[in-house]
Amino acid sequence: MVRTACVALGAIVLLSCSASKSNQANAASNSVAASAEARTPPKLTHDQALALMKQRNDNMKAMGDAAGKVGKSFQSGSPDLNVIRQAAAQIASLAPKVVSWFPAGTGPDVGKTRAKAEIWQKPEDFASKAHDLSQAATDFNDAAKLGDMNRIKVTFGAMGKTCKACHDLYRAPEH
Amino acid sequence: MRVWDLPIRLFHWLLTGLIAFSWWTAEYDHLDWHIWSGCAILTLLIFRLLWGFVGSSTARFASFVRGPKSVVRYLRGSRWDAVGHTPLGALSVIALLLLLSLQVGLGLIAEDEDGIYFGPLAHLVSTDTSDTARDIHALNFDLILALIALHIGALLYYRFVRGKGLTLPMIIGRARVDAPVQPMQPAKWWVAALCLAVALGITRWVIAGAPPFGS
Repeated sequence: MVRTACVALGAIVLLSCSASKSNQANAASNSVAASAEARTPPKLTHDQALALMKQRNDNMKAMGDAAGKVGKSFQSGSPDLNVIRQAAAQIASLAPKVVSWFPAGTGPDVGKTRAKAEIWQKPEDFASKAHDLSQAATDFNDAAKLGDMNRIKVTFGAMGKTCKACHDLYRAPEH
Repeated sequence: MRVWDLPIRLFHWLLTGLIAFSWWTAEYDHLDWHIWSGCAILTLLIFRLLWGFVGSSTARFASFVRGPKSVVRYLRGSRWDAVGHTPLGALSVIALLLLLSLQVGLGLIAEDEDGIYFGPLAHLVSTDTSDTARDIHALNFDLILALIALHIGALLYYRFVRGKGLTLPMIIGRARVDAPVQPMQPAKWWVAALCLAVALGITRWVIAGAPPFGS
């Protein structure tokens, strides 16, 4: 009951000043990434956690949308290299950050998220799957830069598999 | 007495199976199979639409789509003895066909949230439209489930309150009818074959990405 109220309150605060929150989230994200190396994860405040979770969701959606544009471009029968390059660069810049979006204290016990608790129970497997994505995104981006459509297609397909591999295990259903 | 022709029965049970399969593939993330299942349902729906104009008497929309007056008269208990859909049952058939058509249409332009799977016509609309289509596709399925529940509820009502089994006739095509009514007037088999060919052709065209095949 208290937790629900906290979440609701957090959401209202988040909505009313989302701009400043996202800056704060960035700062939090950076500090978490930095301190993860030092192995001393700081305790997130509830607001910080919710802000991080919202930003994580936005970033994931941005990657999904970018991939969708590439897929549609292929589907149209006349793929647009500019669209593909832009999307590939965006995904390649976000993919290496994925693990840093999942600091301790941003799981389903804290707020509404489709991230499963297993992420924090098997951090090594999760990190390895995120690394697979990062590698595949780099390959895809390299292919896009070269402009070789066949290679773009192959690396794009391989990257989609790394998205799915992680989502199958660590993302709860939408509904 | 003949009530339902073979094409209608095949349509009914293939549709039943494919809806179940579509549901399962959506729940368990087999979106590639889900899309193929949706395309198969598209074929069935196009066939059913055509068969509703040129098919056997009980399949024709003209024989069972009635105005609100006849539905009200039927609900007030006026006797109704023809074979085929009752005025009230017809409403449920039309509602199901419309919602299923909407469902397939939305699926054709939808994409999954990861940008990996696409309905065959998704490239014709924006990412936002595809996302919205996916959301409505999910909501509309709940409506379809509600109509299916109503459909099964009506079957149980007929079976246990009215003492009339409706499932067997949908399997064997015949029913015991006491009243002196006209049986179903069957259409020619080659008309059905023609309808199926047209339905398959249109589906093939859609899978190819529609208008001039892509772009």
